[in-house]
Amino acid sequence: MSSEPLLRVRGVHRRFRTGPTVVHALRGVSFDVAAGSMVALVGRSGSGKTTLLNTIGGLDRPDAGTVHVDGTDVTSLDEDGLSRLRREKVSYVFRNFGLIPVLSAAENVAAPLRLARVTPAERERRVELLLELVGLADHARQRPAELSGGQQQRVAIARALAASPRLLIADEPTGQLDAETGLSVMALLRGVVESEGVTALVSTHDPVMMALADRVIRIHDGHLDEEATGQPDESVPDAG
Amino acid sequence: MNRWLTRRWPAPHWPSVRGRGRTDAGALLLTAAVIAAVALLAGAVPALLRAAADNAVQDTVRRAGHDSNVLVHANWERDDGPTGGRFRISRLAEDVDDFRARATYTLGPDLDAALLPPIAVVHGPILNVTDGNLPRTFQLTYLAGDLEGPAVTWIAGSAPGPAVPEQSIEIPYDGPPWPVQVGLSEADAAALNLGPGDRIPVQDGQGRDKDVRISGIYRPADSADPAWRLAPALLRPVPGADGVGTTRFAGLLSRESLPDARLAFDEDQLRRTVHFAPEPDVLTWDATATLAGQVVKLKAASGSSGVRDQSLKWESQLDTVLRDARTQISAASAQAAVLLAGVLTTTVLVLLLAADLLVRRRTPALSAARQRGAALPDLGAELIIESTVLSLSAAAVGLALARAAVPGVSWTWTVPVVLAGAVAGPAFGTLVAARASRDRRQPANPAARRWILATGQLRRAAVEAAVLIAAVAAFVTLHRRGLLPVASAGDTGELTGDLVLPISAVALGVLAGALVVLRLLPAGVRFALRQSLRSRRPLAVFGAARAATTAGRALPLLALVSATALASFALVVGTTVARGLVDGAWNTVGADARLDVSVDAEAATPALAERIAAAPGVEQVVVAQVTDSARIFTESTLLTPRLVVVDTAAFQRLLATTPLPDAPALAQITAPGPGPVDVPALVRSSDGDLRTGTRLQLPRDGAPAIRLAAVGTAPSFGGASDVVIVDAAALADAGLPAVPNTVWVTGPGAARAVSNSGVAADVVLRADVLRAQRVAPLTAGVLRLAWTAAAVLLALGLLGLTLAAAASASERWQTLTRLRTLGLRPRDARWVAAGELLPPVVVAAVCGPLFGALLAHLTLGPLELRLLTGQATDPAAALPWWLFGLVSVALLAAAAAVVPVESALRRRDRLSEVLRAGG
Repeated sequence: MSSEPLLRVRGVHRRFRTGPTVVHALRGVSFDVAAGSMVALVGRSGSGKTTLLNTIGGLDRPDAGTVHVDGTDVTSLDEDGLSRLRREKVSYVFRNFGLIPVLSAAENVAAPLRLARVTPAERERRVELLLELVGLADHARQRPAELSGGQQQRVAIARALAASPRLLIADEPTGQLDAETGLSVMALLRGVVESEGVTALVSTHDPVMMALADRVIRIHDGHLDEEATGQPDESVPDAG
Repeated sequence: MNRWLTRRWPAPHWPSVRGRGRTDAGALLLTAAVIAAVALLAGAVPALLRAAADNAVQDTVRRAGHDSNVLVHANWERDDGPTGGRFRISRLAEDVDDFRARATYTLGPDLDAALLPPIAVVHGPILNVTDGNLPRTFQLTYLAGDLEGPAVTWIAGSAPGPAVPEQSIEIPYDGPPWPVQVGLSEADAAALNLGPGDRIPVQDGQGRDKDVRISGIYRPADSADPAWRLAPALLRPVPGADGVGTTRFAGLLSRESLPDARLAFDEDQLRRTVHFAPEPDVLTWDATATLAGQVVKLKAASGSSGVRDQSLKWESQLDTVLRDARTQISAASAQAAVLLAGVLTTTVLVLLLAADLLVRRRTPALSAARQRGAALPDLGAELIIESTVLSLSAAAVGLALARAAVPGVSWTWTVPVVLAGAVAGPAFGTLVAARASRDRRQPANPAARRWILATGQLRRAAVEAAVLIAAVAAFVTLHRRGLLPVASAGDTGELTGDLVLPISAVALGVLAGALVVLRLLPAGVRFALRQSLRSRRPLAVFGAARAATTAGRALPLLALVSATALASFALVVGTTVARGLVDGAWNTVGADARLDVSVDAEAATPALAERIAAAPGVEQVVVAQVTDSARIFTESTLLTPRLVVVDTAAFQRLLATTPLPDAPALAQITAPGPGPVDVPALVRSSDGDLRTGTRLQLPRDGAPAIRLAAVGTAPSFGGASDVVIVDAAALADAGLPAVPNTVWVTGPGAARAVSNSGVAADVVLRADVLRAQRVAPLTAGVLRLAWTAAAVLLALGLLGLTLAAAASASERWQTLTRLRTLGLRPRDARWVAAGELLPPVVVAAVCGPLFGALLAHLTLGPLELRLLTGQATDPAAALPWWLFGLVSVALLAAAAAVVPVESALRRRDRLSEVLRAGG
C-alpha cells in the first residue's frame, strides 16, 4: 500500500436548511483513505453517510473543508472538472443499481467507456473482461429486467469499474438485496479491490459486510467515530 | 349479516384533502383552467350556432326573393249573362279583396305572423305589341294591397276609368274587342312612344286585336314598394321575360277598369293571385319546421287546377326554401359538432395527462397514506370529492362566461370533459395507492411472467381493436348516412343520437391512426437505438436509450398526435371553406367585375366593352348575351335554362386566365353542328333534362325556331343549375345576332373601370360578392369555429407536451443524474433529454398534419361544405401546407424550449438530492 492517501478529507462541514431548521449533516469530518483499501462507512440512518459519500464524489459541495481524491481538490472543481473527475477517477455503485433498462448488461457496462471515447475494440475487450470478473459473462446480452437483483448489482459494479477509477463509492450497494446475495456482492467488491487495485468506500448497515472491509469508519450525528476491523490501515482519522 | 349492511361509508380525511390541494394547487388550477376554457367553447358554440341559424334562415329567405313567396290562385265566378252573353261585374275589385281576405284567413295564425300583408295581383295574358319589328310584349296588371294598390302620381292624363258609364252591362261573346283603359309608367310610355289617349297596338296569342287605351302616365310614389316587385314591367320595360330578345311592358289597371279587363279577354284568361311575401326579420330557426309544414299542408289541400270552382289553389317554394335553410343549418351544426368532437377528444386526453402528472406528484403521499393503513375507498372518496368539485366548478365558470357572451348556452358538450376531469385523477390515484400495498414482484416462474405479459398485451389489443372497430363503423356510417339529420315529422333540427358515431368519425380516425403510430414508434426508436449503438456518439446512444424507455407511453403520443391531426383537420376545413368562397365568388360573377347592362343601353354594350378594355388595369373584357329563364324546347318539354351567347374564343381565354374551371368542350361549339342547320351548344342541367345529344329549339317571334344540338357539357356558370351556351357567331349565322347585355372584366383595374362605365347597368364586383359570402351568418360562424378549434387544439397540444414532459421529468432527470455520475457533462445531459422528448413530438409534427389531411380527404364530402360555400359540387380539400408547417414548428419549438427550461429549473437541484429522491 502506498503511504500517500488516495482520499484526503479535511474539516468537512455540511448543513441543510429545512425551513427554519438547520440540520448539521457533517461536522468537521476529516480522514484519509489509503489507495487500494476497502473502507466501510457505517452509521444509523440520517447519520450523514450518504452526505459524506456525495461530498467526496463531488455530487454535493461542502460548506467548509476540502476533499482531495488522488491529489485533485474535488471542492474546487467546476461542473466540467467534476464530470472529468467522475469519468476518470471516481465511480459509483447505488443501492438501486441505476442501470439503463433498454440496454443489455454489456451495453450498460460500456456506458462509461463510451463517455470516455474508448475505441470500440478496446471497449468490447474491457466489457468482456469486466463481465467475466463479476461472473456475468453468460448474461452479456440480457437486459436488466431479465436479471436478478444481485446480477443487476454485479452489472452496476462492472460498470463502475469500466473506466478504471481510482475511487469506487458504493452507497449501500446491498440495500435492496437479500443477505446471501448481499454478501456475494460485498465479496465481489472485496475481490475487485484486490484484483483491480481500486480504492472502495462502501456505506453499509450490515455487520457481516463490515468484516470484509479493511477498515470501518463509523459516523454518528455528523462526527466520525472510527473503529478498525479486518486488515490494518495506516491512515489515521482526524478527530477534527 | 349481509356484508353490505356492515360496510361503512368512506370517511374522507379532510386535512389530507386540504393538504394535497394546497400542495398541488398549480396542477389543480391548470386542470380547472382547461376545463373552464373548453366548457366556455363547448357551451358557447351551440348557442352561437343557434343565433346564427336564425340569421341564416332570414338570410336564405331574403336571398330566395320571390321563390319564397306564398301564392294562392282562385278562379273567378262565371260571368255568364242572362241573355247568353258576358256580364260586366262591376264589383270585381271587391271580389279580389274578398279573395285576398279569404286567403289570409286560410293561412292560419303562424304563417300569417311570418308573412307580410298580402298583395293581390290580377294579370292578363301576354299580348304581342304589333307596332314595329322588335319583339315586344304587353300585359295588363292590377295590384291591390290591404288598402289600395301602390301609390302613383299621374303626371299626364288620369287613372284608368270604366269603359262604359253603366255599372251593369251584358256583352255578346263574339262582339268587338272590349275597350279597357290602363295607365303606363313614364319609362314604358317613353319606350313605346305613346301617350294618354293612344291605343296600344296589341294582339293576343291567337292574333286577335285588343282595345287597350292609355288613360294616363304615372310615376310611382315609391318605386321600392314591394308591390312593384311582383310586376316590374309596371315600372320599366323588362328584357327577356318572354324569350330571347323580347321586352315586356305592362299597363296598370285600376279598380274601375278591372271589370273591363275581364271582358277584354276570354273568360279564364285573366288570372288572379294573392302573393304573401315572408317577413324575414320575424323568421326563426325554431319556427321553420312548423311554417314549412303548414305550407305543405296548404299545398296539399289545394283544389285541383282542372276543377272549375273558386277554391284556393296554393303554390309556394317557401317550404323548400325553409327546408334548404334547415339543411344548410344542419350541415353547419354537424360541421361544428365534428370540430367540437375533435376539441373534446384532445381535451380529454390532455386532462388524462394532467391527472397522470398530478398522481405522479402525489405518489409518495398516496403510497404513504395507504401504507399507514388508509382504506382505498377513503382515499378514492377524498380524490373524487376534490376532482368533482374542481371539475364542476370549472365547468360552471366556463358556462357562466359563455352565458355572459351569448344566451342559451348548452352544457351537453361539456359532459365528457367534466367526466374526464372528475374521474381520471381518482382512478389513477386509487391505482397508485392500491399498488403501494400490493406485492408486485415479478413471479420467478417464466411461464407466469409470460402469462402476465400476454394478459397485458391482450388487454391493450382489445382496447385498440375496439377503437379501430369504432373508427371503421363511424366512417362507414358517415359515408352511408351522412351528417344531416334524417327528416322526420318530429325533426327538431337538433343533433340526434344516431349522429354521434358519424360526428365522432374524425376524432376516432385520429385515435386509430395514433394507435397505429403508437405501435410503430417503439420499433422505430429501438431501430434508432440499434443504429446509435454502432456509432461512436455516446449522446446518441443515451438519448435513443431514453427514448426507447419511454416510447411505449400511450397518453403523450395519443394527445400530441390527436392535437396536431385535429388542428390540421380544422385548418383544412377553414381553408377549404375560405377557398370555396373565393371559387364561389368567381363562379357567381364570372370575372373580377361584371356589368349587367339594362335593356335601354344594350345597344351600347360593344362600345362600352371597348371603352372598358382601354381602361388602365383591365386585362380582359368579354361580352355576352345572358338570358335567364330563356324558353327552349326539347322534343317534348319547355325548359327555361340560362342561355349564354358568347364569343367563345374570348370566353375560353377568360376561363384559362382565371381560377374559373377550364371548359375544353367550348372548342366544340365553334365547329359546325352535327346537322346542316344545327347550332352546336353546350348544356348542363341539374335533373338531366339537358344532355349531350339532345336536340333543342330556340323559338323566335315571327321566324322559324333555331335548332340547337347539345354537343357537350357546359361549365358550371354563375350558380345556375340549367345552362345552355352557344357561340355568338354561330347563332348570328343561324339568323339571330346576339344583343350583348353582360360584360365580364378581369384585371386589377376592373372594378374601377366598370364603376365608371357611364351607362345604365348593374355592377357586380367579385370582391363585394366574396365579402357578402364571408359575412353570411353560418359561413362566418363555421369559419370562425374552424380557426378557433385549430388554435385551441394547437394550444392543447402544446399543453399536452408540457404536461407529458413534466410527468416524465423526475424519472428523466434521475437517469440523467446517474449518467452524470458516469461523467456526462451538464450540457450534454440536455441533448440526452432532447433525445428522449423529441421522438413523439417529431412523430406528432409529421404524422399529425398527414392524418389531418387524410381525414379531410375522407370526410369533406359527407361534411357538405358546398352548402356553405355555394359551390355546385363538393369542394376538394384545400391543404394549407404552410399552416401545417406552422403547427409542426410550434410543436417542435415547444419541445426544444422544454429542455432548457427544465434544465434551468433542475439546475438548482443538487445531484445528490436527485439521487436521494430517486431512492
